[in-house]
Amino acid sequence: MRQFLLPDLGEGLEEAEIVTWHVNEGDRVVVDQPLVSVETDKAVVEVPSPWSGRIARLFGGKGDLIKVGAALVEFAEGEQGDTGTVVGELGQGEKTVREAEAPTPAPARTLQVLPAVRALARKLDVDLNLVQATGPGGTITRADVERAAKSLAEAGPAEPLRGMRRAMAQRMAAAHTEVVRTTVTDEADIEDWRKGEDVTIRLVRAIAAACQAEPALNTWYNAEAGERRLIKRIDIGIAVDTEGGLIVPVLRNVGERDARDLRAGLDRLRADAAARSIPPEELRGATITLSNFGMIGGRFANLIVVPPQVAIIGAGRIDQRVLVHNGQPAARRVLPLSLTVDHRVVTGGEAARFLVALKADLERTS
Amino acid sequence: MPELTLVEAINLALARAMEEDANVVVLGEDVGVNGGVFRATVGLQQRFGAARVIDTPLAELLISGLCVGMAAQGLKPVGEIQFMGFIYPCIDQLVNHASRLRNRTQGRLSCPMVLRTPHGGGIRAPEHHSESTEAMLAHIPGLRVVMPSSPERAYGLLLASIRDPDPVVFLEPTRIYRAAKGQVEDSGEALPLDVAFVLRQGRDVTLISWGAAVKETLAAAAELVGHGVDAEVIDLATLKPYDEETVLASVTKTGRCVIVHEAARTGGFGAEIAALIAERGLTSLLAPVARVTGYDTVMPLPRLEQRYIPSVSRIVAATRKVCEFA
Amino acid sequence: MADDGLPVIARFEVRRRSYLAPDGTLLRPLPDFASDIPTLLALYRGMVLTRAFDLKAVSLQRTGRLGTYAVSLGQEAVSVGVASAMRAEDVLLPSYRDNGTLLWRGTKMEEILLFWGGDERGNLSSGPAHDFPYCIPVGSQAPQAAGVAYAFKLRKEPRVAVCLFGDGATSKGDVWEAMNFAGVHKLPLLFVANNNQWAISVPLKLQTASQTLAQKAIAAGFIGEQVDGNDVIAVRAAAEEAIAQARAGGGPRLIEALTYRLSDHTTADDAARYRPPEEVQARWKEEPIARLRAYLVSQKAWGKAQEEGLATECQKEIEAAIERYLASSPRAPETMFDHLYAELPRSYASQRAELSGGSDA
Repeated sequence: MRQFLLPDLGEGLEEAEIVTWHVNEGDRVVVDQPLVSVETDKAVVEVPSPWSGRIARLFGGKGDLIKVGAALVEFAEGEQGDTGTVVGELGQGEKTVREAEAPTPAPARTLQVLPAVRALARKLDVDLNLVQATGPGGTITRADVERAAKSLAEAGPAEPLRGMRRAMAQRMAAAHTEVVRTTVTDEADIEDWRKGEDVTIRLVRAIAAACQAEPALNTWYNAEAGERRLIKRIDIGIAVDTEGGLIVPVLRNVGERDARDLRAGLDRLRADAAARSIPPEELRGATITLSNFGMIGGRFANLIVVPPQVAIIGAGRIDQRVLVHNGQPAARRVLPLSLTVDHRVVTGGEAARFLVALKADLERTS
Repeated sequence: MPELTLVEAINLALARAMEEDANVVVLGEDVGVNGGVFRATVGLQQRFGAARVIDTPLAELLISGLCVGMAAQGLKPVGEIQFMGFIYPCIDQLVNHASRLRNRTQGRLSCPMVLRTPHGGGIRAPEHHSESTEAMLAHIPGLRVVMPSSPERAYGLLLASIRDPDPVVFLEPTRIYRAAKGQVEDSGEALPLDVAFVLRQGRDVTLISWGAAVKETLAAAAELVGHGVDAEVIDLATLKPYDEETVLASVTKTGRCVIVHEAARTGGFGAEIAALIAERGLTSLLAPVARVTGYDTVMPLPRLEQRYIPSVSRIVAATRKVCEFA
Repeated sequence: MADDGLPVIARFEVRRRSYLAPDGTLLRPLPDFASDIPTLLALYRGMVLTRAFDLKAVSLQRTGRLGTYAVSLGQEAVSVGVASAMRAEDVLLPSYRDNGTLLWRGTKMEEILLFWGGDERGNLSSGPAHDFPYCIPVGSQAPQAAGVAYAFKLRKEPRVAVCLFGDGATSKGDVWEAMNFAGVHKLPLLFVANNNQWAISVPLKLQTASQTLAQKAIAAGFIGEQVDGNDVIAVRAAAEEAIAQARAGGGPRLIEALTYRLSDHTTADDAARYRPPEEVQARWKEEPIARLRAYLVSQKAWGKAQEEGLATECQKEIEAAIERYLASSPRAPETMFDHLYAELPRSYASQRAELSGGSDA
């Protein structure tokens, strides 16, 4: 702050009276610009500014007496900040705004419905997710809603999926979006099996043999990391159909156990499954899976591979078929085999070799 | 009743207005001795004198500024801009002054001016003579934007615009200046501004248009009868402010709407109407609102201009699609 | 050009008018009106009031009670000199730096404050109802002035349009187009170029290569005269003559009032960014109020008592106006719609209702 003191106005005066200020506090002035008119004995005199600068303070008002040498005006140091504009005011930002990274967008709603049709669905109590759209671009039309309303009226009550059914729905959906399925099939000629052969145990041991021949199918695949692990131990998941739905308990270390031990283990698992007393750890960790759906019916199937596994074997219903055997048509007992693999991890060659080994083991006379 | 072309109807309205009110003054390039390059002002200078029908220097900004000054002084100037392609220097006077004078003086001064200009393409003219940027003007608060589609409406709406106490931009569809013929009586009766005209009643779909495109829209409506579609045709006529009620009433009735304009698609005035319908007519809709418009390109030179301007077949196709939407 | 025997087909001249030197001494005999002391005193008072009001407006802005404001420090002689030559029935089309003209013609100080304070009601001026309000888009008032003058001519009214603009405006097409038209039609129109030599930060030498602004009239076919814009007697005399000529049907004229902008462009501008303080300091020596005061004192027509009295009078008037301004409250928001058109179209009723928070639909 610089102070401008009232200068000597001449003629031995000691003080002067302020008549009029010509500037205001806050004004920018230049050298020689009239600051104030003061009255001496003789006249009204203008006092010019000694400096250029901004006026911070004026001392005294009209009519006040100021002594020569007393402070008249105080100048501010430094320049007023640049307003950065010529009209109005530019607001200053308080803090730097960090914009959050854009989150991955939620998947788009896929229902295409005109508002009028939506209102109709509400009125008829139709869940739009159940309506089959026939309009252009997958739009749901009035007719679609009306049709759905009619069907729903004839359908049973809505039953929410729970427990095993719910788990299956979720697991299968997840598997479907991830896995690239491919299936190869064949039949094993088991005419020469001895009577009363334990089919499931034969299958289990044949799978173990096939895993030894082609270890690539006894593998876990971690898609996110892009890694696969070949596994020495063979733990086979056995799909079991129960009243509550499908469960897949695991028969452990099949490669190192004998037939009797395996049978005992299998029986225990089935009993526990029926009694719904299988502990959760018994359902985890399978390295490959067997679905013996042939016990109920059907020949070949395109099965679901459940990650992190890469393969599943399906055994169909044992039947008599007419085949060519030793050059001649003959009625033989056959066991249909389906092998579904995750083609992200398993090559066609590996799958074929596995299937060949599986078939060969099954066709061995026991 | 005499049969007049659209430009003759305009001439008739101008003469009528100048006869009735000594404050009406016409100004522009070539409007006096030559009677205007489209003959819209033919005979006026001979009848009313050079002081009231002024051949201005070549200066569009000046024409619009003169109108503001004259209007503030109580004259009723009708300025002519030779083609809409040359109206852009007037934007300053229209947006910064004409549309605001009443508001910024809180009613102390006002601006009863009219600026007339030929609008749109289709006359095989060189570039810049085929503009249709009415959406720019319709955006400006305080302006009126009016576009007739027939000789009768040209007469009645121009009279209304001249008599109106507020500024009006009057867009005249060039390609139907002579092609449109109608019976026009010199009654001195104005048609209402801010009101849309239902030119054809219909049940199945609402077709909205303005200017020269109304001609193709009406033709499309006739052709649609053969496809089992009964179309209602609305001529918006005043774009700013426009008749929201007539539009909404029609769409509520039909549930389907197609808007037709020659101007480019994006930000065209059809977008405003579609927004209105989405805001206040959504639950009546049975199909999306369609727009049949000029493309988002510069209006091409004459060899291609007919591919740009919405044709009857484009309008018919779009309408059928809307009607067959579920 | 070389003397090649080609005939000169046109020559033009521009005169400069001034009567008082910067120190208040006479350069030449005064025009008649200037021998009437009360007339000169009225001019002096007008300038002093304008400056005092301007400076008070600046402190209002600095204390957050007024928006951006444009001061006419150093240019008071132009505003007051031109205004004093006009009749009430003439029409003024000002720029945004002509408060002295507005005040002289009857606009109230609180109306000026209301406008710059952000309220359109400030343009409901108590001055002549036909005067135009401030014009912000530079030069755009010029074609409007031509329209106004044309209306006078058409109706054969003995009235004149007076259009004020700055040196920057003379670079705009608007001003040229208006002058050109005024020349063709010999309109009753006075153009006053208030040449304060700065257009924000652009100095005159970058604005035009023309030696004077006055000579731009020659290209439009009429007389252009330069006056010392800091000599209120010269400004008044030039304006009076031009207006009389226009009123009598003699056509338009351009007066270039050469002065200097002693202040920043607006309260948000800092002129020290682009011009040296020494230049401004030198110009203070030529300012109009001190000049006329010096002359009046030399004629024994002014002294300390009167100076004091005038200062007090001005302060009282200004304070009272400020009080009335500060006591005013903003309009109700729905009034935004009131003067949009002569009659509000139906389609805007709902928007208006939204603002009024009521059922206006």
